[in-house]
Amino acid sequence: MDLAPAAFRDQLLAALPRVRRYARSLCFDPQAADDLVQTVAERALTHWHQYDQQRDLLAWLVSITHNAHMDGLRRTRRLQIVDPFELARDQDAAVAAPAPTDPGLRLDLMEAFERLSTEHRECLLLVGVEGLSYAQCADSLGVPIGTVMSRMARARASLRSLLEGGAARSTSTASASDRPSLRRVR
Amino acid sequence: MDERQVDDKQPSEERLSAWLDGELPPAEAQAVAQWLDGHPEVAARVQRWATDRATLRAKLDAQLDEPLPESLVQTVRQGSRAATEAGVAPRRGVGPWGFGLALAASFVAGVALSLTLGGLRPQAGAASPVAQAGGWTQRALVAHAVYVPEQRHPVEVSTRGAEGAEAAQEQHLKAWLTKRLGRPVGLFDLRDPGYSLIGGRLLPGDAGPSAQLMYEDAAGRRVTVYLQVPPEREARADGHAQFRYVEREGLGQFYWVEGEGGQALGYALVGALPRADLLALAERIDRQIMAGR
Repeated sequence: MDLAPAAFRDQLLAALPRVRRYARSLCFDPQAADDLVQTVAERALTHWHQYDQQRDLLAWLVSITHNAHMDGLRRTRRLQIVDPFELARDQDAAVAAPAPTDPGLRLDLMEAFERLSTEHRECLLLVGVEGLSYAQCADSLGVPIGTVMSRMARARASLRSLLEGGAARSTSTASASDRPSLRRVR
Repeated sequence: MDERQVDDKQPSEERLSAWLDGELPPAEAQAVAQWLDGHPEVAARVQRWATDRATLRAKLDAQLDEPLPESLVQTVRQGSRAATEAGVAPRRGVGPWGFGLALAASFVAGVALSLTLGGLRPQAGAASPVAQAGGWTQRALVAHAVYVPEQRHPVEVSTRGAEGAEAAQEQHLKAWLTKRLGRPVGLFDLRDPGYSLIGGRLLPGDAGPSAQLMYEDAAGRRVTVYLQVPPEREARADGHAQFRYVEREGLGQFYWVEGEGGQALGYALVGALPRADLLALAERIDRQIMAGR
């Protein structure tokens, strides 16, 4: 197999801290995130010739990361693919009735960020922090642009709701312990 | 752009959010900005989103200064997976694969390979997964190299034949291998990606029988799935399979262990395919294993 050229390796190395940051938004466990980054680096090195120099390297790496992460989820069967509508509804319920029992609890921004759904967290990170356009983000995640747009709006609302002690707006009886947004199947 | 943008109707949340991200066309963005000028409450809310974004950036930027794991840096510097893939150190001189091929003849002759191949394993004490899995996955590669070129006798039990007889042969093969391995053995349906089952054979393994299933596509490319009861120490502690990949001289192999305790079975998929294609096949197989459970 032909080796990736040195220039590509340098670019890759420079981008990896950002890839790692994205991986951490997907995996709660830092070790799992590092394993994911390792997989991404290997895939990037194997497929370096598929990288289009016109394209943003981070966006390309994000799509590899996203796919590798999804592969991992499917492989481990920890998660079931859920209907997006159902997921959105469950997440709304979860936000409306957040975990803490103290309804007036105000969360720190990072705590609130970590409590968002993965879909919301990754969009806030990729667009808000990394500065990807909606189109780049949509492309990397394999979803329509409209989905990114709606996730951004929902993510911002959820974050605000968590920060402002969203239980006050609770209209749902769902408790955090039985919310089924991520289902264990085995 | 439609009329709606310039009248007093409130922009949707999505539009406000997209405006903040600079995702609206200039004319629309201007209309939203004008609307916000006249609606300070909503403007304050959008301002809070902007503050959240700035705070998040500041907090998350701290992560960028953390040093990367050394193994990762090495992987990239070397520009190749070889050195770090599954924890195998690069070997000098004759690689294990060349060695394996040399040994292939003795394999056919029925020499107890487990003894010979034992010498190829990474040194005892190495705790890497491939060190643990070294024996049986190496055998999977050798078995592939030995039987795949066979034109007349690629398999012991053929599942190809007259229309209608195939299903019976498949049943026979499945029952036979299940009995000999002492675990439920499934035959995988890879027809969708274009591989049909040729058949399978029983092989001597480390501590008992192992099996090889062979598949072929329309172009005559063959892949094999090697099945073996994994060594005790490979029993999964965390309850899910991890795919590992090794590549030797153009042959790729994904291997993993599925099932726990007395039900655990090791799988090694071998083929001269691009890694991504091989992975897709491995995932398909794993899905079928899980579905059959």
